[in-house]
Amino acid sequence: MSDPVNPVESPEFPPELARLPPGRHGLPREFVAHNQRERLIAGLAEAVAENGYAGTTIAHITRHAAVSRRTFYEHFSSKDECFVAAYDTVMIELRKRVGEAFEQEEEWPQAIRAGIAAMLEFLTAEPSLARLSMVEALVAGPVVVERYDAAIQSLVPYFEAGRKGRSKEILAGLSATTEEALVGGMVSLISRRIFADRLDELEPLLPDLVEFTLTPYLGSAEAAKVARAS
Amino acid sequence: MTVADIVKRAGIARKTFYENFTSKEECFLAAQEYAMETALERVVAAAGSDVSWPRRVRAGLAAFLEYVAEEPALAKTCMVEALAVSPTSIGYYEESQQSFVSLFRLGRDVSPRAKALPETLEEAIVGGVFWIVYQRLVAAEAETITELLPELVEFALTPYLGAEAAREIGAADVKGESGRKLKKLAN
Repeated sequence: MSDPVNPVESPEFPPELARLPPGRHGLPREFVAHNQRERLIAGLAEAVAENGYAGTTIAHITRHAAVSRRTFYEHFSSKDECFVAAYDTVMIELRKRVGEAFEQEEEWPQAIRAGIAAMLEFLTAEPSLARLSMVEALVAGPVVVERYDAAIQSLVPYFEAGRKGRSKEILAGLSATTEEALVGGMVSLISRRIFADRLDELEPLLPDLVEFTLTPYLGSAEAAKVARAS
Repeated sequence: MTVADIVKRAGIARKTFYENFTSKEECFLAAQEYAMETALERVVAAAGSDVSWPRRVRAGLAAFLEYVAEEPALAKTCMVEALAVSPTSIGYYEESQQSFVSLFRLGRDVSPRAKALPETLEEAIVGGVFWIVYQRLVAAEAETITELLPELVEFALTPYLGAEAAREIGAADVKGESGRKLKKLAN
């Protein structure tokens, strides 16, 4: 199991992660190691998308990553550990994109809209990563499930920011669990479509999700206006 | 948990287990199905006891939360642990949420905003309620989950009726309920 499959013979090989030139490429050791780790993470995502978490073996991962089994074990002690690394990588990227989109808008309702749009865009563009982070994460063991729960809860502050400056009447209508329920509802819509492999339905969800999440803060008419604005 | 643990708790022979299920996973799915069906039956029965839709929602949600509070172990098995079993069990969990969706959808008949409501509204409401329950089960707070009734009712009804009316129905009858609870404790 030490010789990697030739990427040319492996149709699922991610083209953006072309194999390093063989032999003495003169690349610094650290760069190669970093690159290998990233490739293994990408390999795991592809393998999990193809076989599910339970059906994925180290051999699947190394084949997709086009590295040797030995290289795998230089970076990770198990499939679980590689999955956790992949999950964290996806979440860092997703959080970054959502955070940046949110920060770019001055008004809170528009910032929410931009943040949700960025999330949907990322998940649509990366089907394997979408499945890994929203479906397979749940079956990948308690360590990942805990991270999954925390990742969802980490969206709560974006919505809590919407309480600022609201009237007494509006605030009276918000409870301690409002944001949690909004985030849970939003994620359930998204993950159900990823689960059913209906990724083309993700981006069209934007207006509904925006209206749903803004309604408690702005009232339904105003929330609909922001949601349906072009 | 192993098949040995299950047969020991159930007080049956290992052979009997395998006459009924091919694997631990299959047994898990059956438990999940059973619990979700029971929950739905209770919700439907409770919701059917009233004619006004907002009060039906309240009664249905109350029945759901009471079921979770009464059977926290079963609820945790089916709404938390079952999710970690396989994509099949996640699929089942997703599907069972859809039954609740149709109960909420009746609200469109009474909502002045019916035409303007987003198509996915009910799916999002049910997802939100389930997520809250999931979080409480993970945190082992199932016993106090019925306390969330007013805010969950308000959350569910706001899009249909506006915040004020939703809050009134959420807060309604709370005294009566705690009165009953006190009576129960006194007996």
